[in-house]
Amino acid sequence: MTQADVIAKLQTIFDQVFLEPVHLTPIMTAKDVPEWDSLTHISLLLAVEKAFAIRFHVGEVETTRNVGEFADLIAKRIQTL
Amino acid sequence: MGDVEIKALLLNGNPEFWDRLAILTRQAGDFDEMFQLSNLRKKALARQVPRPGPVPKKIRLALMGGYSFYPFRELLEHVGDMEGLPYELWCGDYDNYISEIMDEASGLYAFGPQAVLLMPSEQRCKYPGKLTDPREMQQAEARRVVDSILELVRKVHDKSQAEVMVTNFMLPARHDLGAYRDRTLGSDWAFRKWVNLELGLNAPSFLHLCDLEFLAYRAGGLNARDERAWFESKQPCSAALLPALAREVVHLMAGLRRASKKVLVLDLDNTLWGGVVADDGIEGIEIGDTSPRGEAFKAFQKYAASLKERGILLAVASKNDQAKAEEVFQKHPEMVLRLDDFVSFKANWEPKSENIRQMATELNLGLDSFVFVDDNPAEIEIVRQFVPEVETILLGPDPADYVGQLQDCRLFEPRNITSEDIERTHLYRSETQRKALAATMTDMDAYWESLAMEGEISAFTPIDVPRLAQLINRSNQFNLTTRRRSEADLVALMRDPAYSCFSFRLKDRFGDHGLISIVIAKKTEAVLSIDTWLMSCRVLKRQVEDEVLNELVRLARQQGCMKLEGIYLPTAKNEMVRDFYARMGFVLTHEDECGKKYDLSVPAFQPIPTKIKISHRSHDPG
Repeated sequence: MTQADVIAKLQTIFDQVFLEPVHLTPIMTAKDVPEWDSLTHISLLLAVEKAFAIRFHVGEVETTRNVGEFADLIAKRIQTL
Repeated sequence: MGDVEIKALLLNGNPEFWDRLAILTRQAGDFDEMFQLSNLRKKALARQVPRPGPVPKKIRLALMGGYSFYPFRELLEHVGDMEGLPYELWCGDYDNYISEIMDEASGLYAFGPQAVLLMPSEQRCKYPGKLTDPREMQQAEARRVVDSILELVRKVHDKSQAEVMVTNFMLPARHDLGAYRDRTLGSDWAFRKWVNLELGLNAPSFLHLCDLEFLAYRAGGLNARDERAWFESKQPCSAALLPALAREVVHLMAGLRRASKKVLVLDLDNTLWGGVVADDGIEGIEIGDTSPRGEAFKAFQKYAASLKERGILLAVASKNDQAKAEEVFQKHPEMVLRLDDFVSFKANWEPKSENIRQMATELNLGLDSFVFVDDNPAEIEIVRQFVPEVETILLGPDPADYVGQLQDCRLFEPRNITSEDIERTHLYRSETQRKALAATMTDMDAYWESLAMEGEISAFTPIDVPRLAQLINRSNQFNLTTRRRSEADLVALMRDPAYSCFSFRLKDRFGDHGLISIVIAKKTEAVLSIDTWLMSCRVLKRQVEDEVLNELVRLARQQGCMKLEGIYLPTAKNEMVRDFYARMGFVLTHEDECGKKYDLSVPAFQPIPTKIKISHRSHDPG
């Protein structure tokens, strides 16, 4: 899966989790989205894990700095399944 | 799930959205599904999708403990709202619960919670010493953990009068010590089990245990835990267990406020035995230990019998010939249930909905006290359509699962078991005999006289509190104001000098009815206002109301009141007492859509003569 593929699939998940529509781009960060606080983050990650059938390792999501890096991490976890 | 369909309802602002959302919420299996439904709910609120029905008042619920409450609070808020018990939530800080409870200036008390869910930290439920320490030391430490939790519970209850729910501890699900875990209380496994037992067995009546150990066991220990979720965001359990936990909390809260079911109505053919007695004959039906199917049906009868032991009334509604159906109970040697286990036995060709209606009338119980069980979907459907107040259980295809289905229905869970629960079957049977006697007497006075009734009037006492709360939260029909109160509320009333509260017990030559009427009155200057007046319908037309009024006037005089004020607040169920105050000689003073107010002049009142012999029980200390 390319980064773009992952982001496209992420978009559908974000649409379900957030009340206000968010248009995802690789350079976007949580700070750009008012609703994306540390709390919604938890439910977002659970939804992402379920949708991609992956499991992140402890602490690794917080090392990603933007949506692009997050998508790369997802792609990596898909590969190492 | 009908994802597309419900989103369309939301976008169109269709009020049916809410019903659909409630149904999907009940069906939701995993965290993700429920979380998304809770998001839809928030979207619908933001869009102001019109919602049918009255808006229930929010209950102020405080969540506190050694965990982070997001996203749990979202699920809890959602399930509560969907079940008609919406919450206003306050969440304590992560692992700050001890100081939040001990510090009377904390945000917890400023919030003024009506209920508290306390989730004590698992980190503090650990034996600090060695596995090989003497058992007495380990037990003492477990007791210390329990005492520290109970102390917090008492403190928060005393300071806020809130009902308190406490979660116990999940057990570990890793092999760790191997079988040695059971040979010492020093292992997490044995220590937490011991703490959970001590906590449950020593819980005061205002503490409602939220059995996390059980929920985790039911879900499977490995599924219930998630170490990563703990390291990353201090979650109390895995996301997979959160929906079950949210449902459990809402279930507990509902149990404090709603009446439980009183009558289990059973079908016969293919419910209590296998086969159809009219076709297969009494020898042909499957019941008893001679075949696996027979054993399954027998187990189901045994379970129904155990519900009866717990105070649930049993009844039969069957499409059968009455004599043929009764014959099975009289003659079949393998039957567990016998005719005298049932308070009503209706085997005929009338619709079952009609039979249940008749039972409700005969037993003086509301239809919403009934649960109907049948293996036939058509019978279930008739009852659902024609008496929607009755809860129904459609038995599945395999009799092996019947017991489990009933055990999981959650409609017959005891709260505080009172001895009167156990007596209830006996009471209702005597009621039937009493009716037979009334039918033979033409003169009511002679009938009352013959009953040899004795009434006992008592101020509220601590020992009566569980029974008082039970009746206050259960009775619907003869209830002038239908104000519900928790045990904590009642204790507060007992301490308030402005209130006069009393209960009424009645017995007669057929049996002891127990505590059957409750009055709460508040004095404001020279008026004694009747905040609550309710009575069990079992004792209708027995002159109890007259004696209660006599007592109210006596109390009013004692306190120098000139007027007694009566209030009637209509509900869907208390039509029976709409003109009660007028019948009792009160004068209507005010009426609007909310209800009616009445006055009775105290000086002009003449005590009403009755056939009940009254005794007073003073404020005995329980």
